[in-house]
Amino acid sequence: MVGKGRLLVLALALAAMMFGLAQLPAAAQTLTVVQGTDIESLDVHVVTSSPSYAVLDHIYDTLFELSPEGEIIYVLATGFEVGPDGRTYTIKLREGVSFADGTPFNAAAVKANLERILDPASRAAYANLISPIREINVLDDYTLELKSDEPFGPIQVHLAHSGMGMISPAVLARGNEYVAQNPVGTGPFELVEWRQGERIVLRKRDGYWGEPAKLDEIVFRVIVDDGARLLELEAGTADVAIRIPPTEWQRVDADPNMKVDRTTGLRTIYIYFNVTKPPFDDVRVRQAFNYAVNNEAIVTALLAGAGRASDAPMAPAVFGYSRQTPYTYNPNLARQLLEEAGFDFSRTYVIHHPTGRYNQDALIAAAVQQSLRAIGVQTELRTMEWTTYLDFVRRPQDQNEVEIAMLGWGVATMDADYALVEMFHSQQHPPAGFNLGFYSNPAVDAALDRGRFNADPAVRLAAYAEAQQLIWQDAPWIFLHSELQLTGLRENVHGFIVHPTERYKAHEAWKD
Amino acid sequence: MLPYIARRLLYAIPTLIGVTFVVFISVRLIPGDPAVAIAGERATPQLIEQVRQELGLDEPLLTQYGRFLVRLVQGDLGTSLRTRLPVAPEVWRRLGQTLLLASASLLLASAVGMFLGIVSATRPYSLWDNAGMVVALLGVSTPVFWLGLMLILFFSVELPKTLGLSQPIFPPTGSGTWRHLVMPAVTLAAYSTGIIARMTRSAMLDVVGHDYIRTARAKGLSERVITYRHALRNALVPVITVQGLQFGTLLGGAVLTESVFAWPGLGRYLVDAIFLRDYPVVQAAILVIAIGFILINLIVDLLYGLVDPRIRYG
Repeated sequence: MVGKGRLLVLALALAAMMFGLAQLPAAAQTLTVVQGTDIESLDVHVVTSSPSYAVLDHIYDTLFELSPEGEIIYVLATGFEVGPDGRTYTIKLREGVSFADGTPFNAAAVKANLERILDPASRAAYANLISPIREINVLDDYTLELKSDEPFGPIQVHLAHSGMGMISPAVLARGNEYVAQNPVGTGPFELVEWRQGERIVLRKRDGYWGEPAKLDEIVFRVIVDDGARLLELEAGTADVAIRIPPTEWQRVDADPNMKVDRTTGLRTIYIYFNVTKPPFDDVRVRQAFNYAVNNEAIVTALLAGAGRASDAPMAPAVFGYSRQTPYTYNPNLARQLLEEAGFDFSRTYVIHHPTGRYNQDALIAAAVQQSLRAIGVQTELRTMEWTTYLDFVRRPQDQNEVEIAMLGWGVATMDADYALVEMFHSQQHPPAGFNLGFYSNPAVDAALDRGRFNADPAVRLAAYAEAQQLIWQDAPWIFLHSELQLTGLRENVHGFIVHPTERYKAHEAWKD
Repeated sequence: MLPYIARRLLYAIPTLIGVTFVVFISVRLIPGDPAVAIAGERATPQLIEQVRQELGLDEPLLTQYGRFLVRLVQGDLGTSLRTRLPVAPEVWRRLGQTLLLASASLLLASAVGMFLGIVSATRPYSLWDNAGMVVALLGVSTPVFWLGLMLILFFSVELPKTLGLSQPIFPPTGSGTWRHLVMPAVTLAAYSTGIIARMTRSAMLDVVGHDYIRTARAKGLSERVITYRHALRNALVPVITVQGLQFGTLLGGAVLTESVFAWPGLGRYLVDAIFLRDYPVVQAAILVIAIGFILINLIVDLLYGLVDPRIRYG
C-alpha cells in the first residue's frame, strides 16, 4: 500500500511538473497547410478565388466579417448605422489600429481602399459588390459615410467580402505593381516569402491590434495532386490538407492520427438549360429532367456523403434560403411529362461539363447521362478545359451553342442577393452576368430587386422566399447538390476554422 | 571546333526568332480569352474590357509581337498577366529546379539503362536478357503519377510507420534538399531507363556482329575489353542521341512528376500558364525550353565527335 506521505509527494511532484511545463516558453509553432491551388496574386483586391482569399485573409482585415453562421462580426469597423433615408451608411472605425508598415488605419485609409476597388484601372475583381456606392465621405478620423442612390440591402455583407480587404494607403499610393509585391495589411500575420506555385510563408506580426496569434508561422504549400496532398497529411509532414478526395474521407477519419472536418459549403452544383432553345423552353421538359436525375444517389455514391442534395437554388447556410419540395427521383413521372410535352426522343442532346473543377464533376455528368438514358433520353457529354469552357458558356445569346451545361456557384457573401441575382435575374444574361441559360421571369426579377434595394431583413427574406419558389417551379436548372468541404487535419491541430465560404482561418489555431 | 560551335550558335538565332513567332501566334489561337481567365469567372464585361486594354490585348497582333521582340532583346521577358510580377526571375528559378531534376534523373536512367542494355546484349536471349528487357518494359509503361504516389506511400508513409520512425525516409513532396530529389528523380528516370536500356541493347547487338569484334576476339582480348572499349564505344552514338532527346523532353515534359511531387519546375509553370492564358509566361517558358533544346542538340553533336573519332567538325 502506498502511504499518504508518498501520495502527497507524488502529487506535489506532478503539480510541480505541470507548473514547470506551463512556465516553459512554448516551442515555436509552425502550421503547414497543403492546398491544391496557389494564390493568384498578393493583391487582395484583384484575386478572384477562394484559395487566394483563404491565405490573404491572414494578412488583410476587412471592415466586417461573416461568422461561419453568417452573422456579421465587426473587425476594423466598430459601428454601422443606416440613415433614415435608407441610403446613407455611417461606419465607425476601430481606433489604435495600424498597418504593418506603421501607417495608421483611419477613415482616409478606408476611403483610399474603396476608391481603388471602384477604380477600373486597379482591375479589382469584386468592384461590382460595392458599385451602388456613389459617395465616400470622411466625417472624422474614425467615421466614414457611404451613400448610394437606392437603399442597398446587402452592403454590410458585401463589405465583409475578402476582396474588400484593407491595404496600407502608403502602398496603394505607389501603384498596382508595387501592391502586387508588397502585401501590407492590418492582419495578424505578415508575408515572409511567396515562391510561386510552391509555398507562401506567413509569420506572426508584432503590433497586431487584436489577440495575437498562437502560431508563429503558417506555411501554405501548393500540391496540385489530390493523392499526394493526402499522403503529406498521412506522413505527418503537413498539419492540414485542404480538399481531400471524397472517396477517402471515411478512411482518413477512422485513423487515430487524423480527423476530417466536414464543413458545409456554399457552392451549389447545377446543370442549367438554355431555356430559349426548344425543347427546353417547355417547363415540363425541365421538370422531367429534374425528376429523372437521382441527386440523392449522386451524393451518396459519388461524393461518399460529402454533399447535400439541393432543396433550393442555394445552400441552407445562405441568408434567405427557403426550402422547396425536392423533385424526388421518379423516372415514370419524368417519362410521362416528356411525352405530354411532345419531347423528341430520337434526337441526341448535348451536355457540356467541366472536368476537375468541382468534386467528381465528370463522373456526375456521366451519372446524369445514365439517368436520362433510363427514361429514353439520349445525350452526349462534352468536356472542355476550364478557361475554354468559361469562354464558351458565357457567349451572348446569338452565338451561344449550349443546350445543357454543368456549373457551380459559391456564395461568398452568404447572402441570397449574391446567390440569386446573377443566376436568375433577366438583366444578368451573358455576357453581362451569369444567368447563362437566359432564364427570364418578371416576377422573379421583381422579387430579387425588392430584396436588393431594401434594408429590412424581414422584407428581404420574404422577397427571396418568393423568388426561390418561382425559380423552383420554373426549373431552369437540374438542381443537383451543394458541396461539403472535406479538410483533413492531424489530430493535434486545434482551433483551425474552415469557413462555409471556403476560407479557412488559422488566426486562433494551435498544435499540441 | 570553336568556329563550328560559333556557326551553330549563329544558326540558332533564326530558329529562335521562328520559335518566338510560332509561340506568339499559337498561344493566341487557343480558344479562351486571357482577360476572362485573369479577371475571374464573375468579371463584368467592363472589367474584362479594362483588363484587355491594360494588357495590350486590344492592339493588332503584329504590334503586340513587335513589342514583345523589342522587350525580349532588352532581356525583358515581360510581366505575368496574373500575378503582375516580372516573369524572368520566376523562369530562371524554375529552370534551375528543372535542370537539377532532369540531370539527376538522366544520370540515374543512363547508369541503370546502359547497365541493363549491356547485360542484355552480351547475353542475348538468356534469362538475363529477358529479365532486363522486362524491367525496361515496366519502366516505359508504368504511369508516372502512379509510380510517384506508390513511392510516396511506401517511403514516406508505410515504411516509416513499420520501422517506427517519426520522420518519413524521404519527404513526400517539395524541394530544397537532396532527400527531396530522390523520389521525383527515380519516378522520372523510370521511362528514360527503359528507353536507354532498349537502345543500348539493340545498338550493342548490332555492333557485336561486326568483323572487328571478331578480330578483337581472335586477337585474344578479354571479353571485358571487347565489350567496353570496342563494342560499347561504337554503340554509343545512337544511345547519346536518345539521351539528348530524353533530356530535352524532361525540360518541359515532366509535368505529371512535378505535380505529384510539388516540384517547382518549368513544366508545371508552363501548363498552369496555358490554363490561365498567361501569355508572357507561356512565351517565356517555351522560349527557354527551345533554347535548351538547341543547346542540347549542339552538345549531343559534339559528344558524337568525342566518342567516335571518325566524326569530325570543321
